[in-house]
Amino acid sequence: MEKQLIISVGREYGSGGHEIAEKLSGHYGIQLFDHNLLDEIAAKKNLNMEHLKGLDERRKNPLSSRTVRGYSSSPEENLLYLQFDFLRDKADSGESFVIVGRCSETILKQYDSLISIFVLGDRDKKIERIMRLYQLTESQAVRKIREKDMKRRRYHNSFCDRKWGDSRNYDISLNSSKLGIDGTVELLTDYIDRRR
Amino acid sequence: MLAQVFAVIIFIAMFVFIVTEIVERHVVSLVCALLTMIFVFGIGMHSMEAVIETINLKSIFAKEFWYLSGETSGSSAGINWETILFIFGMMVMVEGMARVGFFRWLCMRIARLVNYQVIPLFITFMVLSTVLAMFIDSITVILFLAAVTIELSQLLKFNPVPMILSEIFCANLGGSATMCGDPPNIIIGTSLGYSFTDFVTNTGVIAGVCLIAVLVYFYLIFRKELRAGASKSVDYGSLPSPESTITDKKGFAVSCVIFAVAIVLLVTHAQTGLTVSTIGCIVAIATLVTSWKYAILLLRKVDYKTLLFFIGLFVVIGGLEQTGILEVMAAFIGKISGGNVMVMIAIIIWLSAVASAFVDNIPFATTMIPIIKSLSAAYGVDLSMLAWTLAMGTDIGGSATPIGASANVVGIATASREGYVIKWGHYCKKMMPATVMVVLISMLLIYFRYL
Repeated sequence: MEKQLIISVGREYGSGGHEIAEKLSGHYGIQLFDHNLLDEIAAKKNLNMEHLKGLDERRKNPLSSRTVRGYSSSPEENLLYLQFDFLRDKADSGESFVIVGRCSETILKQYDSLISIFVLGDRDKKIERIMRLYQLTESQAVRKIREKDMKRRRYHNSFCDRKWGDSRNYDISLNSSKLGIDGTVELLTDYIDRRR
Repeated sequence: MLAQVFAVIIFIAMFVFIVTEIVERHVVSLVCALLTMIFVFGIGMHSMEAVIETINLKSIFAKEFWYLSGETSGSSAGINWETILFIFGMMVMVEGMARVGFFRWLCMRIARLVNYQVIPLFITFMVLSTVLAMFIDSITVILFLAAVTIELSQLLKFNPVPMILSEIFCANLGGSATMCGDPPNIIIGTSLGYSFTDFVTNTGVIAGVCLIAVLVYFYLIFRKELRAGASKSVDYGSLPSPESTITDKKGFAVSCVIFAVAIVLLVTHAQTGLTVSTIGCIVAIATLVTSWKYAILLLRKVDYKTLLFFIGLFVVIGGLEQTGILEVMAAFIGKISGGNVMVMIAIIIWLSAVASAFVDNIPFATTMIPIIKSLSAAYGVDLSMLAWTLAMGTDIGGSATPIGASANVVGIATASREGYVIKWGHYCKKMMPATVMVVLISMLLIYFRYL
């Protein structure tokens, strides 16, 4: 049986982290979990979770939620725990997969098969990428990057002890702007192969 | 004046920190208690006497703390050790019952009694939730009931959310029926000197009438949803037998006896003279002695954070009380109502309900107790009537929103962890009308019976 491989990819918005995760998933022939994670959970539990997609990767609102003996009323937090449980079950089953974001580098830390990556990028390169992908002006792209990164940071930091993007939290942090998407994937596959 | 300013600032800060959950609520209340000691009693009042009175340790050594030979009088201001000790004792007993599988057995037993039919299950689980919450904290009731509901829903193929929402509401309603059902009631009872029987014959009767309305309401709004998915062909063999849920048969029998003794002691405590602190100690010691092998485990499971939260809270409220702020608030309510008892009751019940829907009902009820005492003294209104009004408002109001009561949070979290994430909109749409209906019925019953 093939040795288990779990790749966690954290990313700055516009760094191409998601595309890198997709390519790693394709390279190793393993499943990718990102926004589809909810669909996977819904299919497994035979539930409809379409109405919950707006809550994905969002931090809880402290004013509209409450915690009692470790139980939370926050839909965002509960959705996250649901995803955590799903990912832990997958990891426990020995399955290999790539997971994008969702605090995965922290919640799957105890698994030896985990390789955690954080992808960042140069500001100008990220702006250029977002302008190109979404047909935005420079100022719109700057605003979008700022908003998305702030959302990701808040979401991550409200559930994890270590800060989002802190290199001590990941096995490898790298700037995708230096080598480009393919070059970064190449470097990462080399690193992953050496680790396996 | 300085002491009053300090007391109000500390009180508001405590509420803000509790609501925002930046730090855990027991830490908030203990830090605020310390600040009250320093700034309100020390710098503001220069009164060591106020500190000693608020810490209230001497009450534990008084005979009345353990045994009342005559008329009940209620405890003095400050930390209500009677409440702390009683809740501790009940927590130990409940942990003992949970360990042997009592709650799961009870749920499964009832499910079998109604032949696993969804609608009868829905009705009986609501009643079960109400009855259990009369004696046991609503968190434990919902923790077990929601878990069993989800388990049964997966086997019987129905949506568990309607059932869980109804159980949450009924747990809060059941809590209002007795002195030990909900923390505000324990605090009201011990602070004002009311017995278990006083509660049952007053709030209990109101809760009983409201239960009928609630059963009808939830049946009408949920019947289609529950029937929609329910499977007609269920393999009953795949359902766990009630007996299989018992983890320790001898311990189970002992737990049942201790629970029965606790109920008898509570029901008769006005006659026997045993205070709730004594009853708390008896059930805790009985549980620990009979389950001595698991005594450490049971003691570890006690929710000390809640007990510490209570201690800090009593000190902060003591600060408000000692500085006379609560009398000012009472005078304000009296002024608005113009001394009219009907308006006074309406203000207390709706204010309590609305406040409890958004903030923890325990600090709210604790704050309101001295206020209703002042109102009663100033306007000659029957204190017990105001106490029942306060109890119903705080206990029921919490059902309106997902954050209003502990049972709501636990029920929502339990359902969510299984994929049934309950959002604010959905929760409020079903529960708010029920809350308004029950508060309204309670108010009308109070008018009808006491005026």
